[in-house]
Amino acid sequence: MTINWWTLGLQAVNVLILVWLLSRVFWRPVAEAIARRQDVVQTMLNDAKTAHDSAAAALAEVGTTRAGMAAEREALLSEATRKAEAAAKAALADASRQAKTLLKAAQTTAARETDAARAKAAAASAALAVDIARKLLGRLETAEVQAAFLHLLVTAIDQMPPKDRAALLKAETRVDLLSAVDLDAAAKAKVANAVGKALGGAPELNFVTDPDLIAGFELRTPHFVLRNSWQADLAAIQKDLKNAI
Amino acid sequence: MNSPLESAVLFHLGPIPITQAVVTTWAIMVVLVLAAFLLTRRLDLRPSRRQAALELVVATLDTQIVATSEADPAPYRGFIGTLFLYTLVANWSSLLPGIDPPTAQLETDAALAALVFLSVIWFGVRSGGVGGYLRSFAAPNPVMIPLNMLESVTRVFSMFVRLFGNVMSGVFVIGIVASLAGLLVPIPLMALDLLTGLVQAYIFAVLAMVFITATVEDGKARTADADPTNLSEQKDI
Repeated sequence: MTINWWTLGLQAVNVLILVWLLSRVFWRPVAEAIARRQDVVQTMLNDAKTAHDSAAAALAEVGTTRAGMAAEREALLSEATRKAEAAAKAALADASRQAKTLLKAAQTTAARETDAARAKAAAASAALAVDIARKLLGRLETAEVQAAFLHLLVTAIDQMPPKDRAALLKAETRVDLLSAVDLDAAAKAKVANAVGKALGGAPELNFVTDPDLIAGFELRTPHFVLRNSWQADLAAIQKDLKNAI
Repeated sequence: MNSPLESAVLFHLGPIPITQAVVTTWAIMVVLVLAAFLLTRRLDLRPSRRQAALELVVATLDTQIVATSEADPAPYRGFIGTLFLYTLVANWSSLLPGIDPPTAQLETDAALAALVFLSVIWFGVRSGGVGGYLRSFAAPNPVMIPLNMLESVTRVFSMFVRLFGNVMSGVFVIGIVASLAGLLVPIPLMALDLLTGLVQAYIFAVLAMVFITATVEDGKARTADADPTNLSEQKDI
């Protein structure tokens, strides 16, 4: 067995050349292609991670903003509730105050109307009573009643001041003597006699019939009236009733 | 049939005898380079099936290198990969009629073993410097220096003998069987020779990587031991 050293050396050189050639045309280009793709993929992954991080940050920001909005909403709702409660309380107090005022006014009005109605009813009742009394007294026009009213007239004249009685006796004074019914001559003479006696003279009497008197005798001058009749009494009673209400 | 222990000289270039193994190696070189050039003309980010197959080859080689050395595969890829491809194609060239595989000749296997021996020195010096490479012989302790020096030669010699023995024996057996039993009988043996050629190429490349890694790691470890600034890191480890 012999070794051809030339062949050994040539084969070593051949393999070294092959190593160099394949490194240039095969191993390095393919490895660079793999590395290039890995770089691209890594870049894409980094971009995706960056996008993911950005999205996460944006999501966190949205969450923070949403939380802030929720807090602001809660604050606004609380403020609105507080204002609404205050407004409702104020409105309730105002309504209560107005209701009290209205109630008081209504009570006042009701009382006034009640008083007015009562007064009106009382006045109507008094008027009715007076009317009833007038109708009833109208049936009592008798000689006794005339005599009684004549007596009352004489008494009233007696109670007049002397100056007034003297004024009635003056010649220029016309004195009307009103009666409810027409008097016959005897009755007129009796009345004129009684009145003259009470006055202390002989006045010129003008007998006038006024059915409104119901019963009684009254003296009237342009400046003087001496009332003495059922009408005057009823008017006084009605006035008293009206004042009493 | 010629003796596998003798190189058949085809012609001379001046004083240099050109054997059949050399010519076959040149042919293999042309085929490999042309094929690599044609296959890697258009490499794109979107790989075709062809590119995907090429990348699978490179990725598998890188995986093997990383599994062995746990280092960046780039410095070793060209040498180890070419060593594997050349050995594989050379082993399988026996399937072509009239072609004797170059790896069935002593000189070719010796040349490959010599390249591995030199590459161990080259990568060892490049990694740890001349001192680091020389200190790698003192691993795990200086007592081992003679044995490590002897081992650096014998392990390469064993590679060379293993490859030569396997390939030469396959060729020899097939030749004997073919001369005795005609055409069809050697076919199973040729199939077995395919498997043997693949396994031997793989073993040769992996052993080369193992030897390189052992030298690089020993050189690095010894350099780190000599550097006092690395004490704290070593304690942490």
